[in-house]
Amino acid sequence: MSKVLDIRNLYKIYGKEKVNQVTALDDVSFSIDQGEFALIVGSSGSGKSTLLNIIGLLDKPTNGTVRVAGTDTSKLNDGQISSFRNKKVGFVFQFSNLLSDLTVLENVMLPMQMAGMQKSREKATELLMAVGLKDQMKQRADRISGGQAQRAAIARGLANQPALVLADEPTGNLDSVTSKNVVKLMKSMCETLGQTFVVVTHDQEDFGNVDHIIQMRDGKAFETSMVRRVAT
Amino acid sequence: MLDYRLKLAKRMLFNKKGSLIGAVLAVTIGILVIHVNFVIFQGLYDAIVRDITEYRNGDILVTDESNLIEKSDTMLVNWFSRIPDVKAAAPRFSSNGEINITKNGGMIETNRIPLLGVDPIQDIQASSAHTTVSEGSYVFSHNSIVLGSNIVRDLGDVHVGDSIEVGVVNRWGQDEVRRFIVSGIATSPGGQGLDYSAVVHIDTLRDMLDRKGYTSSIMVKLHDPSSAENVRDLFLASFVNDDFVAETIEESAEQQLAGFRSGIAMINMIGYFGMMSSAFAIVTIQMMLVNGKTKEIGIMRSIGARRKDILVIFIMQGILIGFIGAAAGTGAGLAYTFYAKETKLSFNNSLPLEVSFDWPKIFQTALTSFGLAVLASLYPSFRATRLLPVEAMRYV
Repeated sequence: MSKVLDIRNLYKIYGKEKVNQVTALDDVSFSIDQGEFALIVGSSGSGKSTLLNIIGLLDKPTNGTVRVAGTDTSKLNDGQISSFRNKKVGFVFQFSNLLSDLTVLENVMLPMQMAGMQKSREKATELLMAVGLKDQMKQRADRISGGQAQRAAIARGLANQPALVLADEPTGNLDSVTSKNVVKLMKSMCETLGQTFVVVTHDQEDFGNVDHIIQMRDGKAFETSMVRRVAT
Repeated sequence: MLDYRLKLAKRMLFNKKGSLIGAVLAVTIGILVIHVNFVIFQGLYDAIVRDITEYRNGDILVTDESNLIEKSDTMLVNWFSRIPDVKAAAPRFSSNGEINITKNGGMIETNRIPLLGVDPIQDIQASSAHTTVSEGSYVFSHNSIVLGSNIVRDLGDVHVGDSIEVGVVNRWGQDEVRRFIVSGIATSPGGQGLDYSAVVHIDTLRDMLDRKGYTSSIMVKLHDPSSAENVRDLFLASFVNDDFVAETIEESAEQQLAGFRSGIAMINMIGYFGMMSSAFAIVTIQMMLVNGKTKEIGIMRSIGARRKDILVIFIMQGILIGFIGAAAGTGAGLAYTFYAKETKLSFNNSLPLEVSFDWPKIFQTALTSFGLAVLASLYPSFRATRLLPVEAMRYV
């Protein structure tokens, strides 16, 4: 299996003066294969969101390399980073973060339109049907429930068939029933589409069995377990 | 297909109706102020030019260096009547005199009254001074006189049909007095007509001054005032050996209009300053829009929008604000201009404004305003592009 994500000796240090420096990531190294469902877990302040932001090219590391789909992301300029985020990385945030000025369908179409893709409407419609939002497509994004918004966000994250989808606490703002549905949806997308998911969560139990778990503690990463995914 | 950036710009703007209305109003009011200024001050200027043209100087005024034309007025009028651009030409003779009237045993006298001698037949073709006669009729005989309303006021209770005495000092320094019957009283809005003059038959005035055959000026009315310079040049070229002075209305009324023109330029400048303050209002409103959309900017950046895309979205908002504001402002300005033109707008019974649609200026104002709105959106748009996605996402 090819490596979709390969992180080597990653550091993120905040603050310039030594006395004020905070090491958010401390020599983090791990890799994730194509089609895996990986969890980054840890307590608050352990560095998991910082790690996710760096993988998603939303932030820059102090040191170390991040390879996504074989590309060393540290070598990309600003324009290339935007294009890379658009085509190679999908995001699912804790608060869905759909654009409230657009409809659900338009939100899913947006990354495809940014990429200049033809037939974005048809593709977005297919994705929304796959996540069970056929009837909510034409509604404004701020008029749907939290669970529906998170499903739409997953559809948007998958829009350009990215190398990996990064999810930051995707169930953190949902009730337990809705959380289970969202987890089920992501896992099924991983299964059926072979889509790689890297999910940050502080609640590992919600996700059951996964391929890969990275435990973050005080900025260090520990690959605490490698388990086979069981079909849900 | 509508570019997604334009769609986003439109939605983000139209969903913030308060900001949209505020920004559009800023542009609209800026344009409207310039239109209102133009209607009032340019209208006033044009009205003065119109009245001077109609009542006093015509489109071309022919005099000579001594202010006494010796050449036959009939010959000069005939010369002009052969030019196709000329509608009519009329001789006038000007002097000063005193007028007195005896009422109830007492005499009321006024001094240094401008006296204007006209040819009643030709004058009504070249001038519309006769239309300002509000009571009675224009000069029709050698002993009829039309008094301006201000002279009537100074003389007390004068009516059409009253007998008055007019005295002048003739060319030999002798007093010459004649009796006239008041045939009419002239009054014009704004007093630009013959309100301060007395009008008599030109031959009577010549006779009184012992200046037979002399003329002070020839007033020339054209079919199309824009041909004034050509007709003037043709006239001067035809009479090179004479001391004629031929001036277009802009030249003959220069003294009266010069100050007014600088006033208009200043008012226009104030209007453009107003437009610039509208631009500052747009900067403020767009900064508010950008600040209010920090989260959205972060989301867009995270899903792949380039800085350029963010810049385009917010500049498009500036374009939309500029376009709607310019359209609304121009629409409102045109409506006001139309109203002023149709109602012959005037203030406090003064002269009615000469309102015109100056299309090049209307387009220039709309374009300037539109350009300023777009320019005003550049800084907020640039600020939006500087937001780092990870920082913007913290607003979540």
